Amino acid sequence: MISFKGKPSADHLVEHLESFIQDTLARCTQCGECFKACPMTEYGPGLKEARPQEAVAGILDWLKGVPNHATSLDWLKVCTQSSVCIKACPENINVMKMMRTAQISALGSLGAQPALKSRDEKDFFRKINAFSATQLTTEEIEKWQR
Amino acid sequence: MAALSPPSDKVTFWYGCNVVRHGDIIYNAIALLEAVGMEVTPAGGAGYCCGTKKDANLTAAQGMGRRNVEKFNAHNTGQVVSWCPSCYRHMNAFISQYTEPQFDLSHFIEILYERRDWLATKLIHPVTKRVLLHQHLGFHEVDINPMVIALLRLIPGLELMTTSPLAPAHMCSELSRVPASLKVVNQQTCESMRRSGADTLATVFHSCQRLLCGLEASESFTVVNYVNLLAQSMGLVSVDEYKDWKLAGTAQAVIDRLGPDRVAKMGEPFFHASILPELLSPPIK
Repeated sequence: MISFKGKPSADHLVEHLESFIQDTLARCTQCGECFKACPMTEYGPGLKEARPQEAVAGILDWLKGVPNHATSLDWLKVCTQSSVCIKACPENINVMKMMRTAQISALGSLGAQPALKSRDEKDFFRKINAFSATQLTTEEIEKWQR
Repeated sequence: MAALSPPSDKVTFWYGCNVVRHGDIIYNAIALLEAVGMEVTPAGGAGYCCGTKKDANLTAAQGMGRRNVEKFNAHNTGQVVSWCPSCYRHMNAFISQYTEPQFDLSHFIEILYERRDWLATKLIHPVTKRVLLHQHLGFHEVDINPMVIALLRLIPGLELMTTSPLAPAHMCSELSRVPASLKVVNQQTCESMRRSGADTLATVFHSCQRLLCGLEASESFTVVNYVNLLAQSMGLVSVDEYKDWKLAGTAQAVIDRLGPDRVAKMGEPFFHASILPELLSPPIK
């Protein structure tokens, strides 16, 4: 169970991400252990041969808003939140969140030129509503989903 | 010695959005929470989407996060119980960093596991199945696999086989972004089922149930979410309709199983354009 106590550290989402980025840039030593531990690198072109330190440096560049080379982008594309990287980090950085934030940057949401396609699914919410109508009663939808 | 009834707690059960394909999971999860003494206010669907998919539009993501926290605060239960690991993660790692939640956040499995002694007293109907658990390694915030295993072991008659390899990602929907990896995981899962002699593959998350249930068309095992196994042992009968539709095989068979009223509710053009292709697509294998 998580207890959310006290005031939040930021007033809005981007302010939080900027704070997380600064903290990560200050703490990451680019040792490459997260890349070495990643179970998904076999699915990205060229990632098997990539130098771990360079791959991580590329991720940090995305955090800085500097579009980087193909290796880091290929790694971002295959990240599926396995969380193995978190345990591998000797600096206790939430590497999974670091990767997610770099993805957000590569999507163009933090000012860099977009280099990744959005994960938004076409008709996502319409499908949710359609399936809801097959599985729940009108009363349940009114009471539980408004 | 345990007291005669568990302590009652009011909770908001945040079932998420994608799970609405499986009403059986929602109903059974609520029944299980109530069985261990919870007074449940369910909340989910599109209006409670956490916004984790909105990384390309942070304005929308932030709006969805604030909206959810405001609604949950208004519920005034003091405790939100999440079903979906993505919602749990997004609330913890992102939304709570810029909002003021007036509630604690738990995952569904934590509640059942904490109150497993109570749950055990309700699991009285044998479920004679040889079960292999489909597991992922990505939900690092909650050590869910051992807790699910412990609960499944409470079911009389159920034989839990040697566990399958841990799949990357926190659930199968994440793997579907990298189809080659989903294919490998599905092949390994089928191989583990054959090797173990299990007759039932138990999924932990709804997206795994969604993406794996179609395997029944070509494999000799059934695919069931673990909450349905627990519910069955409580004597509850549930039908995974989504799986029935996935196994229908043809467009007409899907329509027959859904019935004309429900197709009309979804909107016929939309059903044919968006729903039917999903239901007719086989699992990657």
